[in-house]
This record gives sequence, C-alpha cells and structure tokens, in this order.
Amino acid sequence: MSFYYWKQNFQLSKGQSDILAETNGQKLYVRFFDIKWNTKAQKPYPEAIINFRHNSAVPAITPVVFITNQTFEKLSQQGVDSLAIKCNELLKNLALKQKLHYKAVQIDCDWTVGTKDKYFNFLHSFKAHSKKTLEATIRLHQVKYQFKTGVPPVDRGVLMFYNMGKLSADLEEPNSIYNANTAEKYLGSLNNYLLPLDIALPVFSWALQIRANQVIQVYGKIGRAELSNTQNFSPTAQKDLYKAIRNFFTGGIYIKAGDLFKLEETDKALLEQAAVQLAAHLNKNEKRTIIYYELGNLNLSAFKAKDFEEISAYF
Amino acid sequence: MIVNEWYGYFNSKLDKNSLEYLLTTATTKGIDSVHKHIKGKIAALPNGMPQLKSLKLDRKKLDAFFDYLLLAKSTEVFAATDITHSWEPQPQVNTPAALEEQILKHFKKTKDPFLKQRLWFQLVRYYYFMERGDEAISADASKTLNTFNAYKNAFQQNMIYHRTLGYVAGWYYKNKNYAMSNYLNSLCYNYSMEAKIPAEWSFRPQEEADWIRTLQMAKTTAEKATLWHLLGIHYDPQRAIQEIVQLDAKSEKLDLLLARIVNKTEYGLDNFYQSAPDSAAKQSLKQNTALVSSIALKNNTAKPYFWNLAAGYLNFMNQDYTAARSFYNTARKQLPKDDKLVMAQYKILDWTLYVKELKKIDAKTEAQMIEPLNWFANLKEGKDTINSLRFYKALDQSISNLAELYKKQGDVIKANAFKSYFQFYADNNKIEQMKALLQKQDKSTFEQTMLRYYPFNMHDLSYHQSQVLTYQDKIDEAIVMMNKSESGGFIMPANPFNIRINDCHDCDHENKQAKDMYAIDVLKTIQNIKAEIKQGKNVYKNAYLLANAFYNVSFYGNSRTFYQGKVMQVEGNTPFEIPGTFRTMLLSNKIAEKYYLVAANAAKTKEQKARCTFMASKCERNESYNRAYNKPENANENYWNVDIEPVFFGKYFSILKSQYGDTQFYEEAIKECGYFRSYDDKY
Repeated sequence: MSFYYWKQNFQLSKGQSDILAETNGQKLYVRFFDIKWNTKAQKPYPEAIINFRHNSAVPAITPVVFITNQTFEKLSQQGVDSLAIKCNELLKNLALKQKLHYKAVQIDCDWTVGTKDKYFNFLHSFKAHSKKTLEATIRLHQVKYQFKTGVPPVDRGVLMFYNMGKLSADLEEPNSIYNANTAEKYLGSLNNYLLPLDIALPVFSWALQIRANQVIQVYGKIGRAELSNTQNFSPTAQKDLYKAIRNFFTGGIYIKAGDLFKLEETDKALLEQAAVQLAAHLNKNEKRTIIYYELGNLNLSAFKAKDFEEISAYF
Repeated sequence: MIVNEWYGYFNSKLDKNSLEYLLTTATTKGIDSVHKHIKGKIAALPNGMPQLKSLKLDRKKLDAFFDYLLLAKSTEVFAATDITHSWEPQPQVNTPAALEEQILKHFKKTKDPFLKQRLWFQLVRYYYFMERGDEAISADASKTLNTFNAYKNAFQQNMIYHRTLGYVAGWYYKNKNYAMSNYLNSLCYNYSMEAKIPAEWSFRPQEEADWIRTLQMAKTTAEKATLWHLLGIHYDPQRAIQEIVQLDAKSEKLDLLLARIVNKTEYGLDNFYQSAPDSAAKQSLKQNTALVSSIALKNNTAKPYFWNLAAGYLNFMNQDYTAARSFYNTARKQLPKDDKLVMAQYKILDWTLYVKELKKIDAKTEAQMIEPLNWFANLKEGKDTINSLRFYKALDQSISNLAELYKKQGDVIKANAFKSYFQFYADNNKIEQMKALLQKQDKSTFEQTMLRYYPFNMHDLSYHQSQVLTYQDKIDEAIVMMNKSESGGFIMPANPFNIRINDCHDCDHENKQAKDMYAIDVLKTIQNIKAEIKQGKNVYKNAYLLANAFYNVSFYGNSRTFYQGKVMQVEGNTPFEIPGTFRTMLLSNKIAEKYYLVAANAAKTKEQKARCTFMASKCERNESYNRAYNKPENANENYWNVDIEPVFFGKYFSILKSQYGDTQFYEEAIKECGYFRSYDDKY
C-alpha cells in the first residue's frame, strides 16, 4: 500500500512520517506539478511546482503530474511531442535537485473522447523520452466506456475509486466522494479492463457551502471539527448538514448566516464498504498497490496505520 | 492618470501624446534619445518620437523629468515585470542594490515637491519588493514602513500618496497583518475612482478577528462606512447596507450596494438558463424588497428618490403593484428635475407599472399612452438618445403586455400592430385588415403612434400574400400580388425547373445559371407552362417541369430562397426553424406530387412513366417526414428531440418495381438511390 502526497510544499509532519513508517510504506506518490493551459501565452505551462522542504529520509517516490484536459483541448497535435519532452525534463531536474531516483511516473488526466488522440500521443512520446515505467489514472467512466474513450498506452493504470457523484446543492444527493449505488453502475466491466490496475481510495473529506440553493464552493479545510463549533454552526435535522448561525470570516472565506454546509466525509466504515464492493469485482490473484488519497491533508485522528492495513487486505 | 498628473506639472505645455509615449511606451533608449535631441546632441529623431526641442519649457524642470523617467524605467525590472509560469526555472526578481542608493540620492537632492513625492513613492515601492520575500521582518525593522512613515505628512494626500499607501497595505498583507492591510486598502479605495479597483481587489479579510480589528481601526464614521461598503460589494450587500444605514444614512457608500441588490434580484428572477425562478430567488426577492422598502420609507438617505425608485421596482417584481405605485409617487416629488437620466429611468418604471396595472384598454387609456409610446419610439429609432439609459427590455415587455391585453379584448389588429405574431398571417382576411389600417387616410393620433411599432409595410405584406398564393398553386393571383409588392424577390440559387434522382442542393447551386432567375421569373415561367398545358401542348414535359418547380420551392428543393421574406422570417436549415404557422405550407410536396402524376399520365414511354413515378415517390416519402414536423406539439421543438418516423417504402416504390422493373431508368434509380435499392433487395 501507499499514499498520494498532493500539496505544493513537501514537508511531512511527525504524524505523517509515523503513519508511513507504521504502514511500512515503501513508496509515496508525490504530485510534482500541474500542467495547465495558459490562455495569455497560448501554451501549456507547469503550475504549482513542488517545493521540497524536507530533509529527513523519504521512501521511494513516484512523481505524479496532473494535466488538465483543457491542455489537450487547446494544444495542437504538433505541440504534443514538445510538451512530453518539457514535462520529462522538468521532472528530471526537480528530482535531480533532491537526488531522488524514480523508476516510474504517473500521469493524471481526465481525458475525453475529444482529447484521447493527443493525450495518448503524449503518453507514447513521454514514455519514449523518459524510458520509465508509465502509469496513468483511470476514472470509472473510462473503465465502463473503454472502447469509446480508449485505453491509454501505459504500463499500468490506477483506478480512482472516488469523486463519483456530482457536487450538488440538492440535499438528497448522496455523498459525491463515494456512494455504493453510483459505483455499482460502473463496475460491471472492471475485470475486463485492458490494463493491470492499481487502486486509489479516498481518505479525504470536504464540505459544500450552499447558499440560495447553489453550491458556492467546496472546502477541504472545513471539516467536522469546524462545523461542530456551536458559536458558528448548528446541526440540522439532516445528518452531516450544518447551518451557519452568524456572519463571519474564516480562512479567507465569508460565511453568511443561513449558509448550509453539507459535509462529505470518508471514514473507516465507508472506506471498508468501498473496499468490499470493489474487491468483489477484481481478480484476487493479481498483485496491486492500494494508494490512499492523500497524506498531506490526512485526518490523523480518524485513521490509524492499522486501518490502512486492514482495508488494503481486502484486495 | 499619470499622464494627466505630468500634464499639470508642465502647465499643459507638454502635450499628452508625447507624455503618454514617454511615460508608458518608450524604452530607456527612447527616453534618452528624446532628451538628447532636446539638448541638441542628436540632430534628428526617428518618426513617431516626440519632437520637444522647439517647446518653450523650463529646461531645469525638463531635465529633472528625464532624470526621473530614466530612474523610474530602471525599476520596472522588479516592479512591472509580469512573472509567468514557464518550463525553465524562474529568474529571481531582485531589487538591484545600486538602485537604492540612486533613488535615495535623487530623493535627498530633489526640492521640487512634485518630483520629491514621486521619488518617495519609488523608494517605498523599492523597499516593498526588497522585503517581499522576508516573512520574518518586523514592522520596526521594515524600510518600507519606516520610509513611508517618515514622510507621510510631508506631502499632499493625493493620488501618488495613495499609490504609495497601497504598497504599505501590500506589505502588511504579505506579513499577515490582514487587519491593517484591509484598513489601509479601504483608505485607498475611498480616495478616488482610479484607486478603487486595485484597492477593492486587495481587500481580503481572513479571519473574523481580522475584520473586527479592521473595523476598530476606522477613525471616523465615514471610514467605517467604507469598510462595510467593501464587505458589501465582495460578500454581503444586504448586511453592509444595514450597517451603513445605522452609521450614516446619508453615506454615498450606499448607492452602489443598492444597485447591486437590485441587479442581483433581477438576475435571480430572470436568469436566461432557468425557465422559472426557484424558491431561493423568490425568497431573496422578498427579503430584498422588505429591506429596501424599510429604508426607503424613512426618506433619510442622501438620494431618497433612488431608494423609493428601487423599492418601487422591487415591489413591482414582487407583484405588489399598489406598494410599487406608492413608492413611485413618493419618488416623483423628490426627483432631480435636471438629471435627464434619472428622469428617464423614472419614466420607464412608471410606464411599465402603468401597463402592468391596466385591466382593459379604451379610448381614454389610448389617449394616455400616446405620449409615452412616442417617447419610447423616438429612443428606439434613435431620434432621441439619453446616455447610459437601457430601455429595450422594459419596452419590449410592456409592449408584449399591451399586445396580450388587446388580444384578450379581441382586437387582434392592434395586438399584431404592437407585437407582430406569425399566427396572424395565417388568415388572409386579417392581412387585408392590416393593410386597410396601413392605408387608412385619416389615422387617429393613437393609430399613428401604434404603427411606429409595426415592422412591416404594404409591400412586405403583399409579397407575403404572393408567396402564400404560390403555395396554393394560384399563380395568376400570385403574380398580381408580387407586382403590388413592387419587388421581384430574390435570385434563385439554382434552376428550380431541374430535378435529380437524389436531391443535392449543393450540386445544383454549383451549376452556374445562364440567366439570373428572380422569384417573379419563376412565377411567370410557371404561368407560361400552365398555359401550354391548358392548350394540350407538351403535357408530359410541361407537367414534369411544373412538378419540379413546386418541389424545388418547398423545403426539400433547391430553391428555398423562394420563401425568404420579411414576414415569414425563415432562417436555418431544418424544418424546426420554420415557424410552426408556415411549416405545413413550406414542407408540403402535394402539389409537386399531383403534377408528377399528371406527367406520368401524359407520358408516352415507359421510361418517362418510370421517372415520374419515382419522383412522386420522393414526394410521398417527404410527406411521411412531415407528419412528425407538422405535429402541433413539435411546433417549438428542435431536431434533437423529435423522432422522425418515415415511411421508407411507399406505394410508388411498389408501382415502380412491379410495373417498370424492366426500364433503364429503373436500373439508374437502383444505382443512385440507396433507399430504393434496399426496397428492391427486400421485396
């Protein structure tokens, strides 16, 4: 098993290092940078490049690069090769500075039918230039419609088993991070997927700020602890739904009296449910890495090392 | 802004174009050349560069200006360089150490307060960039703050003062003193129009405690009102308005927030993407109406008419017309009579409410409406303009309301005059009545006013009638009517008398016509052909040509241009873009089918008969498409959500196969037409 680390400043707290040590984590998937389309320059540029602020030993690292689908919508076919070269160079330089050696690279992109050709060309080209093992994230819809959306030319895929619902102001709408009913609709053809798959599972939570029947924002930094502060919020008759009882600022956000906060959490029970459901659709004889998303914002009071081992054991 | 400041400094003697060039676009070298040219060190300057040699300007002042310009230019590397992300490591933007010395030296030496204050600005900005990455620096040790504080009282509190203050606010933000940063930004915001946008962008409270401290820093009620105003535009206009009213009901900081509330309410109710306002929009309408009404009722703001108009309008949207009327009545007595825009705005609000309240229209109300209707018509036609006034939507809605009311009263002529609608033109009697009104010699004043809203004239209507007559196969009458319209119509893009096995409009349009054929020519040709048929001449060939023409002026043919016209307004390429009223008429191939059968009857050879039968089968199949297009429930649908259930194999296919299977045409049709081929395969 393993973790993602997605924050821009790479710095492990004691608790985070402990979890890594206790789970015998040999590997960490670290986001190195994002690639986005820069409308002003009309070119793809890297953004939020990682800052290593860590001196102590870290386990083996697999760099992850997130690329927006818009990048491939805008990029010309001719620009694909050069993007792959630049991306590889930047990864190499960032790793070199930290004296990091990596064997594999993971690319995260929610591609569509329209961007498939360019994205897959990019992967080909990147593989040729980097000569590393190449992995790509796979979303549920890409599994279900693999003949339409195509299977990326990589060595392994990582199934993202989260973000399956839509962010909705509708209070009846189930948890958008994971809910079994939605997941079930996509799992039928999982065993027939044409790539060996690792699994990414969610261990994050967020709160949807809802005002006048509209989702205004989604905040990872507002969790149960904040919403349980009765000076600011009161619980409602509905589970995990809180109402702001005064106007105030917090963390640069303005909260208005009457705003609703719909908390979407993953806890151990939910994670277990997800693991059981998913494992039933997977071939047990295959070896796979279970990657938890993500360590940088992990709620250390909700998850212990033992929990991760138990969950991973389902696969 | 800076151009104007320097323009004033040179007592308007240095023109704005030259200043604009020197201050904003010139490179260091360019600035230097212009200066050298003045000093006589360069004989000539390239075109486009300002020639300032002949100007009688104070040389000392001018030299100081150029010195300052060069210095300011050298700060752009750190102060005005846009750092974009890139694949290469980012160059560190540093403040060159020598530059500090240079700015300091100039600053100490300069006596002229205008220049000295600018050098102070340069210095503070330099220190801001120098200290930008230093998170640990204390306020006491900060050169940014110390330099600002040392001279803050030495100069006027003008624009450059507030620009300097903006950097101090930025320093506090970088050093996480959000309370102070936001307070200083509010002072900048309050200074001038130009300062508003950067200050407003920089106003970002983080925690509630910051915000409370910021409020405590405000020294006056006005400063406090500005802070609430900023909170209002960013986050919560309703709360801000209530707070500011408490502080000072006369504060001008209320105006923008009131406008914002009205705009937001309008947007919520009339969002293009949602068909009906949702419960949240209705609730916020109620809340905003109550809030604004309660303030308006006190009549104690600086612009009470503004509040009464807004309260009236919100009540209007909330469908409480009595309350709306009462607010407008109060506003009327408070209006600034010499403010053309406000008076016009009042007039629009008053008019839309008046129309909304009408239960029926009689001679008396018509008399009342003449003046406002003419006023709007003048605006609409550009005969009168009032800057910044938006009236189209209000006018459009009120005119629709009038038309509906007339319709309800059974007066469709007036309803149509105000708001022309397609269904009206389905009835020729009504068109004739409309024509009679247009031609009436002694129109009443109201009728004259009303007809300013009617989009068509006699010719447009005659042209339309001529088109309708054509689709009824009344060609003689159609020609008479088209002549009345004094138009021959458009040029046909292809020859409508030609036909092919598979329709291909593009192929037809590519074939260049020997002679331009206008709509009137099509009609006259049809007339001649019909005359020949009547005399029994070439019946097969003539009936076939006739059938082709009727096919081609329908939706399925190569000459759709025939049905273009002002009244029918058919745009686009699918039947769904034809208004429902005219759809059956323009889609129908029944007349074409009739003439193909006439041709088949008159045909001498089997080949000819086969050809006519095949063409009739095309008409038959198109008619089967039309069943879906013509369904009343599909009148307002589009291509994506209507199921078309065509008859693939109709009766003429079967006749063709059973009776003409041995013809050459049959072979040709099988080759060309996939549909027929599949029929042939199947049976």
